[in-house]
Amino acid sequence: MLADDDEDDRLFFTDAFEELKMNTKVRTFNDGVELMDYLNTEDVILPNVLFLDLNMPKKNGIVCLKEMKSNQKLSDIAIAIYSTSASEEDIEETFVLGANIYIKKPNDFNKLKKVLSDVVSINWQYHTNGLNKDNFLLRI
Amino acid sequence: MPRRLLKHSGILLKIIFFTSVFIIIVIGGFAYKQISGLTDSTNVLITTYRINVELEQVTSYLKDAEIGHRNYIVTKDNQYLEPYFNARENVNNSFAILKELTKQNEKQKQNLTELNQLTDKLLTNFSETYDFVENDSTKSEGFKTLFFEEKIIMDSLKKKVAEMIRLEEVLLKERQKEYRDNVKFTPLFFYLVILTTIVLIIIAYFKIINDFTRIKKFNEELLIFKESTSQSEIISKQGNWIWHSEANSFTYSDNLYRLLGEEPQSFNPTINNFLKFVHPEDLDMFKEDLGNMMKDKDLPFINYRIIQKNGNIKHFKTYGKSFYGSDGQKKVLGITTDVTNEIENLITLEERNLELERNNKELSEFNYVASHDLQEPLRKIQTFISRLEEKEAESFSNKGFQYLERIKTAADRMRSLIDDLLQFSRTNKPDKAFVFSDLNELLENAKQDVAETILDKKATITSDVLPSIQAIPFQIQQLFLNLLSNSLKYSREGVSPIITITYSKVKLDDDQRFKDITKIYYHKIVFTDNGIGFEQKYANKIFDLFSRLHNKSNYSGTGVGLAICKKITDNHNGFILAEGKLNQGAVFTVYLPAN
Repeated sequence: MLADDDEDDRLFFTDAFEELKMNTKVRTFNDGVELMDYLNTEDVILPNVLFLDLNMPKKNGIVCLKEMKSNQKLSDIAIAIYSTSASEEDIEETFVLGANIYIKKPNDFNKLKKVLSDVVSINWQYHTNGLNKDNFLLRI
Repeated sequence: MPRRLLKHSGILLKIIFFTSVFIIIVIGGFAYKQISGLTDSTNVLITTYRINVELEQVTSYLKDAEIGHRNYIVTKDNQYLEPYFNARENVNNSFAILKELTKQNEKQKQNLTELNQLTDKLLTNFSETYDFVENDSTKSEGFKTLFFEEKIIMDSLKKKVAEMIRLEEVLLKERQKEYRDNVKFTPLFFYLVILTTIVLIIIAYFKIINDFTRIKKFNEELLIFKESTSQSEIISKQGNWIWHSEANSFTYSDNLYRLLGEEPQSFNPTINNFLKFVHPEDLDMFKEDLGNMMKDKDLPFINYRIIQKNGNIKHFKTYGKSFYGSDGQKKVLGITTDVTNEIENLITLEERNLELERNNKELSEFNYVASHDLQEPLRKIQTFISRLEEKEAESFSNKGFQYLERIKTAADRMRSLIDDLLQFSRTNKPDKAFVFSDLNELLENAKQDVAETILDKKATITSDVLPSIQAIPFQIQQLFLNLLSNSLKYSREGVSPIITITYSKVKLDDDQRFKDITKIYYHKIVFTDNGIGFEQKYANKIFDLFSRLHNKSNYSGTGVGLAICKKITDNHNGFILAEGKLNQGAVFTVYLPAN
């Protein structure tokens, strides 16, 4: 599941999963409001991993992250921050708020494919136990 | 100092005055005694002469009586008896005088009594001889006997008188000697006394003249001090005032009037007259402070505004401190300063500071946002290029594929420019905390970051043991990384890079190459390489942003890396210097302050 306001990025994202030919269902949202509305519907099927862009109109990634972590129903979803920037402040803040991994959007399609396949195949239970600030940012 | 001198001088003058008075009183006493002694001596002298005269007188009377008596015996004429009859009375008168004169002298008193007896005897003898004369029996034996006795008595009398005169002469001699002694010492004594008094007066005179000169000098100094105070008040825009607590009155210095925009001493220095100048908005606060001052006899620094008659508003700062005047009254001495210029300057400075801060922040934000926002479209361009390369490569002509490669290179270059710019703008942020950091560890981390290049280029890096210092760790790591990548990047074709890192602690205080040296000791870390180097004339230029010495098709630098190094050493109050020799290598020296 991906929430990103950028049409190109959504395209890269779905293309990558198509080419990976993994047995995954991908759903994309245009902004934070759309994402939260969906997550708050009654009989929602929660995703395994949510890729969350930080810089979105209406409701940005940080706000979405806070809302999900304060909602018991949604607080267990594995959240991968998926952002253009990798500034210290953003990494620090999302780590403290409880995101599981931080991905800096790659500038090469093949790298993107590799990152996505790596993230989807992470055992979140195991990853979360050993999580610290140093391995929070995914190194490509 | 002058005050103490004058005080001492006062004591000295008092001592001289009282000593003089004492001496003069003593001298007066002595003089009185001397003069009365002289008078006594004179009186004694006179007495002696008078006694002698009286005694001669007595002898003379008795001789007259004797002569009269003899004449009567010869002539039987009664008229010759006259001196005899008078003798008794005259002698008695003389005796009375002599008795009075000799009452002090026992010996003479006794002599006088004996003389009196002899006289009585003589006169009795005279009267006894009358009978013989009446009866004409002068030739009888009885008469002869009496006549002979008369001669004997007369002789005794003369002897007695002579004895008395001699005694008086002896007394007179004694007294004359005494008198001479007295008279001999008196002038000398007076002379000495007058001399002493003159000396004392001279000492007092010089003392007074001396003090007077000194007081004149102090007065002169005081006058100069007063003038300089008045001048300095004008220059420093200060005025002073005194509040006399007991009289509840004020005195203002001339310049205080000037500060209020008035002529000196042009109105009565009362509270109400001053309150007329105070800015209405500050009036309540000022009155409260004034009330507190009258209660506490002290005034802390207060700030207020006044309005001059011409409408100018001035900022005043006032301070007061209590002291005791020479009259023992408690007073408050106040200093009032016109701080209008300072306050206006401060406001301007604050405004400029704020503006500068705003500009700086805007610039930094612009830099950050620009490079950050540029990343997104660039990333997409790069991703699309990678899509084209992979999916559509076969449908391109050779030329098309070449163009694609050129686009890719340009996009990569833009990527590294943006990354470096972002790095540079992050280095700008000054709010990073200094922590105690091990430089060896930071160097090791930097080496890890370029490990791949080290392997590729077969580079050798040797380093001394570095110290631990107060630093911003990620910045120092960035500094090391940039210096290492720089050396690796500008290595000579076909020569394995050798990078040597040496460390020493040095003293920079007399080194002319550095400005703004804040510490004495510095950590000196030197990076030496064997790369392509550069010409020494570019040594300072290479730290400028976007400055490059080499063609970018040969070397892929952006001209930001060394600018970042400069910024980081600046952030640490340190320095960085570059030395180069073309085709031999470069030396970068980093100085970081040691505590």
